[in-house]
Amino acid sequence: MSFLAPLAMLAAAVIGPIIVAMYLLKLRREDRTVSSTFLWRRMVRDVEANAPWQKLRRNLLLLLQLLLLLLLVLALARPFVRTTGIAGRNLIMIIDRSASMQAADVGQNRLEAAKAQAINLVDQLPDGGRATVIAMGGQMEVLAAATSDRRELRDAISGIELRNGGGSDLSQALTLASALSAREEQSEAAIISDGNVMIPDDVKVPATVRYFPIGRSDANVAIGAIALQPSAGGQTLFVQTTNHGSASTSVRVDLYLDGVLFDARNLDLPPGGDSSIVTEVPSQVRVAEARVSEADALEADNRAWAVSTLDDTTNVRVIGAGNRFLETGLSLLPGVRYTTVPTSTAIFTETVAEVPVTILDGVVPTTLPAGNLFFIAPPRSTNFFSVTGEIEFPSVRPVSGDEPLLRHISLSEVNVLRAARIAPGAWARVIVDSEGAPLLLAGEREGRRIVVLAFDLHESDLPLHVAFPLLLSNIVNYLAPGSGVEASQIAPGQSLAIQVDETITEVRLTQPDGNIMRSTDGAIQIQNNQAVYADTDMLGVYVVEEFRGDELVARRRYVVNFPNAESVIAPQPDLNILQASGLQSAISQERVGRTEFWRWLAALALIVLIVEWLFYQRNGLAYLRERWRSRTRDKGALRAR
Amino acid sequence: MTEPLFETTFLRKLDRLILMTRRAMAGEMQGERRSPRRGASVEFADFRPYTPGDDIRQIDWNLYARMERFFLKLFVAEEELTIHLLIDVSSSMDWGEPNKLRHALKLAGAFGYIALSSLDRVTVTALGAEGAQRQLPGVRGKRGALPLFAFLQQIRPETAVDLSTACHRYMRTARTPGPLLLCSDLLDAGWEDALRALSSRPFEITLLHILAPQELDPQFDGDFRLVDAEGGTAVEISADLDALRRYRENLTSWQAEIESFCSGRGINYFFVDTAISVEDFVLSRMRQRGVLR
Repeated sequence: MSFLAPLAMLAAAVIGPIIVAMYLLKLRREDRTVSSTFLWRRMVRDVEANAPWQKLRRNLLLLLQLLLLLLLVLALARPFVRTTGIAGRNLIMIIDRSASMQAADVGQNRLEAAKAQAINLVDQLPDGGRATVIAMGGQMEVLAAATSDRRELRDAISGIELRNGGGSDLSQALTLASALSAREEQSEAAIISDGNVMIPDDVKVPATVRYFPIGRSDANVAIGAIALQPSAGGQTLFVQTTNHGSASTSVRVDLYLDGVLFDARNLDLPPGGDSSIVTEVPSQVRVAEARVSEADALEADNRAWAVSTLDDTTNVRVIGAGNRFLETGLSLLPGVRYTTVPTSTAIFTETVAEVPVTILDGVVPTTLPAGNLFFIAPPRSTNFFSVTGEIEFPSVRPVSGDEPLLRHISLSEVNVLRAARIAPGAWARVIVDSEGAPLLLAGEREGRRIVVLAFDLHESDLPLHVAFPLLLSNIVNYLAPGSGVEASQIAPGQSLAIQVDETITEVRLTQPDGNIMRSTDGAIQIQNNQAVYADTDMLGVYVVEEFRGDELVARRRYVVNFPNAESVIAPQPDLNILQASGLQSAISQERVGRTEFWRWLAALALIVLIVEWLFYQRNGLAYLRERWRSRTRDKGALRAR
Repeated sequence: MTEPLFETTFLRKLDRLILMTRRAMAGEMQGERRSPRRGASVEFADFRPYTPGDDIRQIDWNLYARMERFFLKLFVAEEELTIHLLIDVSSSMDWGEPNKLRHALKLAGAFGYIALSSLDRVTVTALGAEGAQRQLPGVRGKRGALPLFAFLQQIRPETAVDLSTACHRYMRTARTPGPLLLCSDLLDAGWEDALRALSSRPFEITLLHILAPQELDPQFDGDFRLVDAEGGTAVEISADLDALRRYRENLTSWQAEIESFCSGRGINYFFVDTAISVEDFVLSRMRQRGVLR
């Protein structure tokens, strides 16, 4: 225990002797003449012989007053005990609200525990200290900015809700925290999370970062992957169940087809292991669902859905001199039909709805076709980018991060002989980089999606790698969204964009809980031939229906499954975050938090004061009690009579 | 003290009362009380063989006729009694509301008046300090009532009275034993000794233990230094309910102690609360206990 204002102790040195002196002065008793002190002497002798503490009792008032003084002075000295917590005056709290925080291994769930911890930290905030509340997970949100209003902070903290989507990327929040803490002295960042977050290695926080781990258990079984794919005899359902825990377990996985129980399998899963179920299902099945029947810490990932893509086909137009690699790759993609068009074609009559994707293999026609475009080795500049020359033997450096176009792909073995030097516009994001110029770009411009591959397939060994068909599949899925197995599965929070014609009058969307959203009342936006719906945080099957007048033109199903990465719920003991002090670790080992308890002391002093008063008035009180007792006795006697 | 001790109506009531004694006691003069001596009265007592020198008027001639020997016929003598009234006049007695000393004087007056009205002799002694002891040597008959009352009226409290030495002194000087009335608060460490001294001679002692209501149930609240009216040690107390309760317990046990001491020595013990009027006390309490009739 230490004191914030130890000088207040001096008050005790001053006031204490005064109290004692006044008490001694007061002790000069009033003289009262009695007939004889004979009886009183007898009494006092008895009393002193019987109870030595009677002498003390005479001084009880003095003792109580000294105790009162002691308590008050202690309260003024503001004692505190060190606790695990925060010490700074400017606190930046980053609270994880990502999907893994809904694990129910501590209390109601981890998020509630994190909120409780955050409110605890707010309580530890020194007087005049300020705090910022940042919710991390999905879109980062600043819920309370540098306020010392504890009520506002508490409200902001209790208002935090879970986000299924958006991952748990700490970089944005940490960057903001760095900026905030750089402005102010005595800043401190507190990360309240289960630790399953992505930590940037380039952010150096100019403040102390403390990590408050939440969570105990790592036992979690998840449906890691589910897919319903066309096959020769109908459809194939693929379900992968993963045990993320550190103990082996056995679970039963129930398979439902269109809501009806179809199959149940018992699976034994070693720690970290997975087990797959592959089964043929009839072709008319539209929705398949897999459920892990055993409860675990995280319930949300025990269910996953897949929808049938049997009827979806995407028309792809290829303009080029003929490319065997490309054609073979396209023909292998399920649900994709391609037509080859000679390079001389200048006028394209088909609508976007009929041919949504065009691949421009080594040519750039004077008039670009409508729809989404995939440029391969563009020979000249277009409206979207400029070609400024060539680079020889570029190194292939895919960007880090969760890039959907590079999913399941490794490009480390790929060599390129020659590539066009492309200067991308602001719309494009670089997916594969090399020295000075990007090799693969993607982005959206004027309502259309564009992918640019800077090198000819014949001048690279890319087509000989496993990566090529996968890359092609990813690109086609990106360019023709809303089709294919991959497209039917969207991440929570990811907006749903559906290409629609001008002729479509209404788009209707049924959420997993049965709520129906309509484009006619503004719940779904239609812009640039795209219907966009963003509120996809709920897990389950979304049904989109397009109407032309009253006629149902198309019905598509999309599923939102629990993000795979969030199924790892084992709480991390530490976070490695580079801090100004040079520390890498953020776990709070030292007890730097201060919990003051002068309020308790003051309350205790009040109680002592009351006791003293009662003691001083004891005779009056006893007299009142006697009277009350005798009165009730009289009443009782009267009643008895 | 100009105020008369009693009203006449009360005295008239007292006229009808008579002082009882448990045994016959010898007196000095002819009176109305049975004496252990033989003397002239109408009540036969005994026969005794004649010895030369006896009064021949007392010879029972009828007995001589039968037995041919002389016998004297003896009668019970009737003599006066000497009533001893002892009043503790220590300053502790001059305290309380109603005043204990005045109460004691009234009680002594009533007792003395009853005795006088039955032709007994009354001596009154204020048990004061040595040398300052005042005494009414003895009055007899209703005539003596006025000097008795006058003497009582002029008694003043004295300081530094040692009850036990005063009693010892009285026992040495008293001539004829008889009923003795001691009015005191006994607030003296030597109370046992005093009573023992009194019971050393064949007095028939009645003790009126007089205490004021303020002593029986003191109303203190707070811290006090209690000063002794007789100049004894001062006592510092913190008077709270508990202390007062203990005081009362102590008082009760002390009273019980005195009472058992008295009953062991044939002393009539009366506890007198000055809040109870003298009239009530004399006319009912003392009659109930058979001291008066």
